[in-house]
Amino acid sequence: MTQYVLRRLIHSVFIIWGCATLVFFLLRLIPGDPVIQMLGPEYTPEAAEALRRKLGLDEPLQVQYVRWFGNILRGDLGGSIASGETVTGAIATGLPKTLSLAALSFLIAIVIAVPAGVAAALKRNTIVDYAASVVAFVGVSMPSFWFGIILILVFAVWLGWLPATGYAELTDDGFVEWLRRLILPSLAIGAGYAAILMRFVRAGLLEVLGSDYVRTARAKGARERTVIVRHALRNALIPVVTIAGIQLALLLSGAVVVETVFSIRGIGRILVGAIFDRDYPMVQGVILLVAVIFVLANLVVDIVYTFLDPRIHYG
Amino acid sequence: MAGIDWSVLSGPYVSRRTLLNLAAASGAAGFAGWLTAHDRALAAPRQAVRASLQEAKQGGTLRLGFGLGQIPTLDPAQVTLGIVAGELLANIFSGLVQFDEQLGLKPDLAETWEVSPDGLQYTFRLRPGLTFHNGAPLTSEDVVYTYERTINPDFASSQANKLALITDIAAPDPQTVTLTQSAPYAPFLATACSRGPGRALTPVPRSAVEELGDEQFGLTPVGSGPFRILPETAEVGRGFEMEAFEGWYAGRPLLDKVVVELIAEESSRVSALEAGDLDMLDIVPPIGLEQIQQNGDLTVVEAAGTNWIGLAMNQARSPWDNPDARMAVAKAIDRQDFIDKALLGLAIPSVGPIAPAFAWVYRPPAEADDPQAFDLEAARALAEGAGLSGVKPVFISSSDEPRLAQVLRGLLLEIGLDLQIEQAQTAAYNERRTAGDYDMTILGSVVDADPDDGVWNYFHADGPSNSYAYNNPRANELADGQRRTSDQAERAGLLQELQTLVAQDAVYAFLYHEPDRTAFYGYVQGYVPIPEQRYLETLWLDQ
Repeated sequence: MTQYVLRRLIHSVFIIWGCATLVFFLLRLIPGDPVIQMLGPEYTPEAAEALRRKLGLDEPLQVQYVRWFGNILRGDLGGSIASGETVTGAIATGLPKTLSLAALSFLIAIVIAVPAGVAAALKRNTIVDYAASVVAFVGVSMPSFWFGIILILVFAVWLGWLPATGYAELTDDGFVEWLRRLILPSLAIGAGYAAILMRFVRAGLLEVLGSDYVRTARAKGARERTVIVRHALRNALIPVVTIAGIQLALLLSGAVVVETVFSIRGIGRILVGAIFDRDYPMVQGVILLVAVIFVLANLVVDIVYTFLDPRIHYG
Repeated sequence: MAGIDWSVLSGPYVSRRTLLNLAAASGAAGFAGWLTAHDRALAAPRQAVRASLQEAKQGGTLRLGFGLGQIPTLDPAQVTLGIVAGELLANIFSGLVQFDEQLGLKPDLAETWEVSPDGLQYTFRLRPGLTFHNGAPLTSEDVVYTYERTINPDFASSQANKLALITDIAAPDPQTVTLTQSAPYAPFLATACSRGPGRALTPVPRSAVEELGDEQFGLTPVGSGPFRILPETAEVGRGFEMEAFEGWYAGRPLLDKVVVELIAEESSRVSALEAGDLDMLDIVPPIGLEQIQQNGDLTVVEAAGTNWIGLAMNQARSPWDNPDARMAVAKAIDRQDFIDKALLGLAIPSVGPIAPAFAWVYRPPAEADDPQAFDLEAARALAEGAGLSGVKPVFISSSDEPRLAQVLRGLLLEIGLDLQIEQAQTAAYNERRTAGDYDMTILGSVVDADPDDGVWNYFHADGPSNSYAYNNPRANELADGQRRTSDQAERAGLLQELQTLVAQDAVYAFLYHEPDRTAFYGYVQGYVPIPEQRYLETLWLDQ
């Protein structure tokens, strides 16, 4: 197992390097010029030239690449072109927000999806199952930004229960304020996510419920509750974990639009803003981070399998 | 331009009365009459403001919603967005001079200033006892330091060009700044020295710049304005808080604190205001105006805009090198119809690049020359003569404005033009536009401090925004000439002539001006509307 994890980690380094390099060059291929973007209405050819020189963008591409890569190896992601921030600083303020958002969305999704999926599977082809399906379809079809706007209108503007936008720091403002600010955006992301997970819980459970060992468990006289929770659900969760891992992408891309609607400057919005501004160092730094997250998340998913199903092991 | 007395631009006040007198003296009677009527219309709200000022209360926090996703920098010399300059910088930094409600100039840090009769020498006398937020004294040396910092090529300030004519600047004593320019430059005070937009010479303290470094100074700047930024609260993508500066020369502002919250998404910004999370919006997005107006607790205040928007046609490409082809397009657009369809009716028709906020030179459409007046028959005839039928011009559009493009396309089908709309994400759009890689695009000037901002850059052959190859020697002459005269009536005449000329040449099909609208709750008192500026020191909360 240790060997396996080590091997995977070494692979990961190459994947991440490839990703970072690809992004570095692709970014410079897409149309748009960070200097024109930064100067905006104050653009003059002279100002553009001065700025290009100041930012080192007048140097050959390979020189820029080598310098950037050398800095990364030293742990320096560089400074934003568009603002005075360092990339590390922006990530340090943005990551806790996106992680909070992702974690709460994930929790909301699980809390909705697992009971609903189990209920739908157990009461197959009844009104419960149909209702859960309809809700799931609506959940999947609803764009998260639209749902976010609706949530703001209902809970902030009409009812006045929750703040419309913004983020509160867990450390500075306390748990309650943190949760109050986060609940609506998490719901906006979590709803769609829950809908997808629910379908997989239902399908997985239905398949497992028909298998031999479940029949054996029942034949032994185990209580139905034990059969479902201890025997069936645990195995049914394997595809769910796979999907949960893959859907991390959905969580992050959902975060981009939802962070915009709720005016939370997490990683998603930092990335999109940086792409719009052609803020090369920022895009490169954030994508590097996202690549690391994805690679690690996939590794974690693979390891979680072994706990859920002892038959799976890596040698 | 011999014989012109530039000293009329000397302060303590370049007043509207002077402008009125100049207008009357120069025979622009219609203009003077319009100004007076305009004054009367403004009188009612101003009285309300004055009445409430008598019982102004000190204290409280104003939560201001600001429509940007991030503030790249608050370093005056590096700010490129007019709204950041006029609405945020103006509260953190004082300028040498500041604006009144009609964008006339009045004293700020400089108690008085003199302009020599030849327009080349400026002498500013600073108020005594000025200090920066960090307690450092603000003297003429700081102005000289600011000049040197702005023009330093390694610092790469986009504002450096506003100081390009200065040949000499000196601080003969702590309260006096003198500077000499190589040629007269009429927009100088407004575009280089004013509170907010005059970023080039907005005094910054050397001590703080050197202590913090340029990058950090841009995040947590130290100024001398009515509010002091609280460094620990500043976050690029979230906003910042600023507190009343006790040492401000005019006395502590009424509010204790202002919280600036960044909310880029328009509908969320409006919702946050309606939910009571905000007290005031910097600018009301047109899409939320009706909703806000229907809310009885909220007040919308409108000031004239300093912007103009038009449809640019690239004369480097055929058939747009033919003036008849361009005029056909201009005359085919019913501006009011366009505004109704594309902008929910929330803008005013434009006959050229002179924006309504510049009351000393602006003339309403009914009184101005309008060579591009809507006339579909004439447009069709011109289009036929120019062979426009079946032409498919490439229209580039940034992702912010799909609606404008769609509406224009519909209107121009009437003369047989089939616009090929190429939507590009903003950065890609800006690159193509700057390179002149288009037939048509929507373009204009926004958040200007002086009409020069929206004129020279766009209609002089060397103007940096002139990516459509317009080059008319007379236009160059007028664009240069209006910079070199101090007599505002004469300058107004030159600008108006230029406006008529560029409309006749159909450099653009001129479309609209957007008013400057802000909104706040009824308990927010004391707001003085200055076009595209937000001076917050007069505000107080009636709670």
